[in-house]
Amino acid sequence: MPIKIKTQPDLSVSLAGIRLKNPVLTASGTFGYGEEFKDVVDLNRLGGVIVKGVSLKAIKGNPPPRIWETPAGMLNAIGLENPGVDVFLSDKLPYLRRFDTAVLVNIFGYSLEDYVAVAERLEGVPGIAGLEVNISCPNVKAGGIVFGTNVKASFSLLSALRKATKLPLFAKLSPNVTDITEFARAAEDAGCDGLSLINTLLGMAIDVRCRKPRLANCTGGLSGPAIRPVAVRMVWQAARAVSIPIIGMGGILTAEDALEFILAGATAVAVGTANFVNPHATEDVAEGISAFLAEEHIGSVRELIGQARIP
Amino acid sequence: MPRSKVLHQATVTAHEAAGRGFRRLVLRAPELASDARPGQFVMLRVSASIDPILARPFGISAVIRRQAIELYYRVVGKGTALLSTVERGAMLSLQGPLGNGFPEPDRDALPILVAGGSGFPPLLFFAARLASKPVVFLGARNKDCLVPATAIKCCRSHARKVYITTDDGSAGKAGFVTDALTAFLDGSRERDRAVIYSCGPRAMMAAVSKVAADRNVPSYVSMEERMACGLGVCMGCSVAVKAGGYKRVCKEGPVFDARVIDWSEHVVLPVPNGKQVK
Repeated sequence: MPIKIKTQPDLSVSLAGIRLKNPVLTASGTFGYGEEFKDVVDLNRLGGVIVKGVSLKAIKGNPPPRIWETPAGMLNAIGLENPGVDVFLSDKLPYLRRFDTAVLVNIFGYSLEDYVAVAERLEGVPGIAGLEVNISCPNVKAGGIVFGTNVKASFSLLSALRKATKLPLFAKLSPNVTDITEFARAAEDAGCDGLSLINTLLGMAIDVRCRKPRLANCTGGLSGPAIRPVAVRMVWQAARAVSIPIIGMGGILTAEDALEFILAGATAVAVGTANFVNPHATEDVAEGISAFLAEEHIGSVRELIGQARIP
Repeated sequence: MPRSKVLHQATVTAHEAAGRGFRRLVLRAPELASDARPGQFVMLRVSASIDPILARPFGISAVIRRQAIELYYRVVGKGTALLSTVERGAMLSLQGPLGNGFPEPDRDALPILVAGGSGFPPLLFFAARLASKPVVFLGARNKDCLVPATAIKCCRSHARKVYITTDDGSAGKAGFVTDALTAFLDGSRERDRAVIYSCGPRAMMAAVSKVAADRNVPSYVSMEERMACGLGVCMGCSVAVKAGGYKRVCKEGPVFDARVIDWSEHVVLPVPNGKQVK
């Protein structure tokens, strides 16, 4: 009888040339700049960190109320509050660089020139593995969604960014469109190295006694497990339309949730709202994927990417 | 099994009706309990269900024998309704202690605690830990909204004097808590030693901070906002500050110097007839 050697399943993946020790990342805007989780999560155990969106200048964000809980999810209209790219570089990035984890910087702007300026600022900075371009924030009128819901506008923006940076570029797509594959192809055609999807779904809640929206911004982005089936479907559609890798996200709480995205075609996943509920969620998901692979006698997580059996 | 300094699994050691619609919950969490300071809060998951998904913030009202924390709450929605069904012996996940807590007054100061409605728990904890006995004001709309009797008893044991007001006069003195506070301050020879700490509805804290500012009395407020993470990352609990921009209640607060807060920030109060008031 041959001796069975128990080996640890291989969780590593290559995301557009970025080696991730496991496929679990943090979704932008749900993990700050990493340091906020210093007492809770060992960043060395994560595939990567996608930091909260940074813009050229600091942004103070929307007036409160900014969040409202909904069934199995939440609405938010934070308004992309952030300290700006210079403060990110001086105060936030040095902390992240201490860890053996891939740092993806989420960037956004109010105009094409803004986006390009942020990308240029980050070019050649050690410790940055790639850029995630937010073309899909539903909460800021000018920034993001204007690009993300217009195929031509997103193509021109991503093409301009392609010229501005050599860093791997990931377009974060909006689900608030009729056909996600058009946007996925436009990003691939513009030279993006990968896709991130989905951002939040545009939503609204009303206080029936005051007859006023629950959020000061009226509408907000819906996140959490409530949106997961929509996200899995969009990742599956996008994966069939393009050949660049996908970071799948939308309501992932557990390893099983993450595996749905991977089977749908995602190379990596990002954990978002779950970080608010269980600050340890990212590590739990990574550990859970490892346990699942061991249980199923699967040697590497790469064997599962896009392997949903479609009848 | 605690994984870190802030994540805890706690056993429910007491959970009962506390009167006037309040419930009292005691959670055994020794590490948390020994670290907790007055004014700090916890984010408590009311069940393992994902609906509601978010943890809820609760101010700590007492630490019991350095082993357990005490919380008070009222059933106001889906989360607290679920919480009310949790039985003794059950385990709940929570994070804490979170936030900055009340700054300690100088040794010779006269601490004045002003609690409105459901805002009393952190002040109860503060009263118990203060070196010099505070003067306490408890206000509510009516006697049904007042602090439960056990909490009043607890206040009396730690306070130099407890003043009770209700808007409609159904308990204590009729009128706003700020009227009683104003009368006290203006009749007190100790006013220049007073430091005010308040927790309650935003409108009340705005009024208290004005009474304080008009008399040059330092005052601190414990702010409440809807909160998702409690860790300073969701940016959901921000309050507007006079200097421009926002501060996070969970990180820079919940306790702020009252002069820092932009009290003019628009607030909507629900009223029964459906007409909104600003």
